[in-house]
Amino acid sequence: MIKIENLTVAFDGADAVKNVSLELLDGEILGVVGESGSGKSVTALTLMGLLNEEAVVKEGRVIFDGEVIREGGKPLNKALYRKYQGEKMSMIFQEPMTSLNPTQRVGRQVEEMLKLHREMKPAERKDMVLQTFQSVGLKNAEAVYDSFPHQLSGGMRQRVMIAMAVILNPRLIVADEPTTALDVSVQNQIIELLREINKTHNNTMLFITHDLNLAKRLCHRVVVMRDGEVVESGTAEEIFDHPREEYTKRLIEAVPSRMNRKKREIVRVNPVIEVRDLSVFYKEGDNSLFTAGKMRQVVYDANFAIYPGESLGLVGESGCGKSSLSKAILGINQNINGQVEQYTVRPQMIFQDPYGSLNPAKTVGWLLQEPLKAAARMDKTKAMSKSQMEEAAYDMLHKVGMKDKYFHRTPAQLSGGQRQRISIAQALITHPGFIVADEPVSALDVTIQAQIMELMQKLQEEMKVAYLFISHDINVVYQMCDRIMVMKEGRIVEIGDTEEVFTNPQNSYTKDILYLSQA
Amino acid sequence: MKYLGKKLFTLVMTLFLVSVIAFLSFEIIPGDVVSSILGTEATPEREAQLREELGLNDPPVVRYVNWATGVLKGDLGVSYRYSKNMNEMMPVAELVGDKLPVTLWLAAFSLIMIIAVSIPLGVMWAKSNNRFLDAALNVVTQTTMAIPSFFLGIMVTYIFGILLKWFAPGGYVSYEKDPWGFAGYLLFPALSIALPKIAMTARFLRNSMLKEMQSDYVRTAYSKGATKRKVMYGHVLRNAMIPVITFLGMIIAEIVAGSIVVEQVFGLPGVGRLLISSISTRDFPVVEILILYIAFVIIFVYFLIDILYRVVDPRISEK
Repeated sequence: MIKIENLTVAFDGADAVKNVSLELLDGEILGVVGESGSGKSVTALTLMGLLNEEAVVKEGRVIFDGEVIREGGKPLNKALYRKYQGEKMSMIFQEPMTSLNPTQRVGRQVEEMLKLHREMKPAERKDMVLQTFQSVGLKNAEAVYDSFPHQLSGGMRQRVMIAMAVILNPRLIVADEPTTALDVSVQNQIIELLREINKTHNNTMLFITHDLNLAKRLCHRVVVMRDGEVVESGTAEEIFDHPREEYTKRLIEAVPSRMNRKKREIVRVNPVIEVRDLSVFYKEGDNSLFTAGKMRQVVYDANFAIYPGESLGLVGESGCGKSSLSKAILGINQNINGQVEQYTVRPQMIFQDPYGSLNPAKTVGWLLQEPLKAAARMDKTKAMSKSQMEEAAYDMLHKVGMKDKYFHRTPAQLSGGQRQRISIAQALITHPGFIVADEPVSALDVTIQAQIMELMQKLQEEMKVAYLFISHDINVVYQMCDRIMVMKEGRIVEIGDTEEVFTNPQNSYTKDILYLSQA
Repeated sequence: MKYLGKKLFTLVMTLFLVSVIAFLSFEIIPGDVVSSILGTEATPEREAQLREELGLNDPPVVRYVNWATGVLKGDLGVSYRYSKNMNEMMPVAELVGDKLPVTLWLAAFSLIMIIAVSIPLGVMWAKSNNRFLDAALNVVTQTTMAIPSFFLGIMVTYIFGILLKWFAPGGYVSYEKDPWGFAGYLLFPALSIALPKIAMTARFLRNSMLKEMQSDYVRTAYSKGATKRKVMYGHVLRNAMIPVITFLGMIIAEIVAGSIVVEQVFGLPGVGRLLISSISTRDFPVVEILILYIAFVIIFVYFLIDILYRVVDPRISEK
């Protein structure tokens, strides 16, 4: 039995985990769910003995089969932990690309487990790695063995990580958001693989996720965490069907579902943007003295129009051409064939990562006025006085639900949700008729996600703006969009009314993703 | 193969451009070869005669083409300044060939010292948790980096040559006569080139390793139960070396230039000294060949660095 008792962990004097107790029963999958900052990852890293040096375990104990392996107030006993790490406990991380050494062949990286913990001949080691590769669904095991991480797909990389975690058949496997970086279809395969491993080998699993649907599907028991504390725990059924705590209820409600959708009537005349037979190309490699850059086609013959006040959802897996299409519409990529007809002022864009897309050196007020200045430079009739611009900026700040006091703050002083509000305000301040929103809520926690979606819908009503709403999460699109457009390998495979596509999908690929993203 | 072809073509083009620029700069800088050879007392007739002999009356383009075709055929020309004996001009090939081994060995020794010392030092530095050691290395490397190599050369001569008498300052031994004596003699000049570079490289590697140690794959390695030592040598070092390789390339280019100064300080008969004296006497054929040599060494080093890159980082070759 594996236990965490009254654990308190602090970073820079602030407690990240407060008095947390967990008990892992033999052979179960225990889910730990929570939003960012809930302390779920810190708890897992403490259990694994992988905390940063800055973190201090102030109180509590980690007990593994009766042996106390970590005690509050005492430094980590590295030598003791090394006997557990790999051998009795292993970990699968979120990002398989960065979690594998980029300059070492993956076979060798998995083999390291055997080198560290077993006395084996090199040939035996290789055999065992190949067998494990096959057991986790890596078909061409020999080829994978000799590959570097960048030569594998995201799903294959995560399978390699899983092979590494299971090769010594440890008692405990900790999986920290193992599918968050993957596409839906791959995500599904990985979840099934973990379930199968748990069944056949009876390992105990600690599954950490922000995705409540995943926890519901996979876990036997679930612990809900918030701000470093355990809010509620129980069987998966208890938590999801009969939550006791207010926070748990809110969390479950915030998950985009296929219910409670507002239906709107859109008048489809006079589009804001019309795309006809659009093909988009990318230059492969640089132009050099010797080779002219080759053009690679990434979008094939796209045809659609977006109407005032409408939201068109764009769904597809990574690399399907979603972003290329949006860049072409905005005129960022000019290597196109076909036509993009705009019947509105310059369209704006909202990006996924509100941390990276706002200039950290400027204040909110400056950031909001910048689009106005840019618009005035291009069109002299749009020029505004300083006080007019400031007034418009304050006005927009209020519209996105923020108070005056934020006007003079910098992005670093805002939360993720507040930053995304500023991004939205920036996009809307010039009153464009059309906005491209590229995964605008994907980096946000569910409760914040719900608020931002609500805000975007409210502003759409007020300002009659049309959205091209890009998302990998089909349930988010269902909540947000009037029509939905599905892309695969650069082609639009289905486009239609959201309700219709969801109830009666025509394309087999659409059917697949609808099936896979079911709760 | 296509890659090698491209690189080779770039090499040839660069050498061509360098030779043209070197040639042109001799057209532009003041000073006349003939008067520098004959002195100010020479008669105008004698000057005109020499000018004709050296082909200096031809237009620059003709002179460049004549010279370049000569070089391509393996004839590096003759020195304006040195002569073999009363009747024979000194071929540049012979002049440079004598001095080249000294410079090349000096550079090679320095490079070996830099790599052999800075890499273990950088790794040890990154690995240590000892605050005292960290502060000490910080001060020592910063000081060493700040000392110019000519001054370091003087100090090395004073300490090891005059105080400790480990070598005789100015007492150069040719490598044909006594290879070990030759090597021993180059040791200290090489040391004064290498010391500041060792400090720089060790610092650079340390910083690169500290940055790599924050990576996710390092956490993965620890999760397998690997010791710090295994993580550092087995995972971090190779990734941390990628930027260091570029840095070493720049260092090598600097060594080639730095050796010129250090040869002066230690009185070594290398090409560095020859280059300086040839520039001041307008000995154009010698200077042109030396500049080509330096350009060649630098380009060739970058070529090797490029290949090394591909070996260390498997991601590069596929882009």
